[in-house]
Amino acid sequence: MNQLLRFLIVLLPIVVLIFFGKILLVDEDIKFSNFNSKIFPEFQLNDLDGNPVQSGSLNGVKILNVWASWCITCLVEHPFLTRLSEQNIQIIGLNYKDSDLKANAWLKKHGNPYLFSIYDPRGDLAFDLGVTGAPESYLIVNNQVVGHIQGEMNQRKWETIFLPLIQKAKQGS
Amino acid sequence: MIIKKLFIFFSFIVLSTSAFNQVVYEFEDSLQEKRFYSLISEIRCPKCTSGSIASSDAPVSRDLKNKVYELVRDGSTDKEIKTYVSKRFGDFSDYRPSLEGSNYLLWFGPFIFLGLMLIIFFIKRRV
Repeated sequence: MNQLLRFLIVLLPIVVLIFFGKILLVDEDIKFSNFNSKIFPEFQLNDLDGNPVQSGSLNGVKILNVWASWCITCLVEHPFLTRLSEQNIQIIGLNYKDSDLKANAWLKKHGNPYLFSIYDPRGDLAFDLGVTGAPESYLIVNNQVVGHIQGEMNQRKWETIFLPLIQKAKQGS
Repeated sequence: MIIKKLFIFFSFIVLSTSAFNQVVYEFEDSLQEKRFYSLISEIRCPKCTSGSIASSDAPVSRDLKNKVYELVRDGSTDKEIKTYVSKRFGDFSDYRPSLEGSNYLLWFGPFIFLGLMLIIFFIKRRV
């Protein structure tokens, strides 16, 4: 009996240590790699040029990047998005709670890596997508949202979260 | 001189926009109001490390509060509203985890732990 007790006294702190250690050391990114895929929400919005966005535009493999001209981190990730677009990655912008005038001026000044940008001044589509702020990026495969990155997109997040999902999607099709 | 100072002081108060920043929610009855306030304290702010949307002034929390208000006014049930939110922002958004699956450990874990401690305690006393 006594031995069992001693064993428990030693075991308990170890179990607690491992438990909390795991919580602390777990990579933030893992939270997003277990993303539950869902159908892209329905919407009726125009792009930044004022043309209605066609629902078929979300077929194939697309990145949807939430951005705004007031968003400073968007400027930080902008060169990386530009590089992705040069590698023929198709990126669609979701212009979030912005004015089209400012947004278009921003694109003119910093360059436009987007095929087009959906203009969402009230953030309705963004709300349905679960956007918590700009920037955020979603991976969309044939109208299904399969991946999500919060905050700045960079090489590390691209390689650890989106690339494996894209490869998986390509194998599946 | 002092009149001028007082004038400036009070004009700052009158013109301060923050006093008008708070959204005032109006309800048909006190039950709706109660439900609204308990709901917003049970929905997690997606932008914060920890905290409900009631305690947060992040833009997304403001949007969420407005949406919950709208849904309460439209007569949605608490469960419908929570499903609506978690469909968009994930299960993570519910501060009161549902009683299913691995959440059992969350709800009853502390009691199991307490029970274990008591058992150990009594074993020890007998020895």
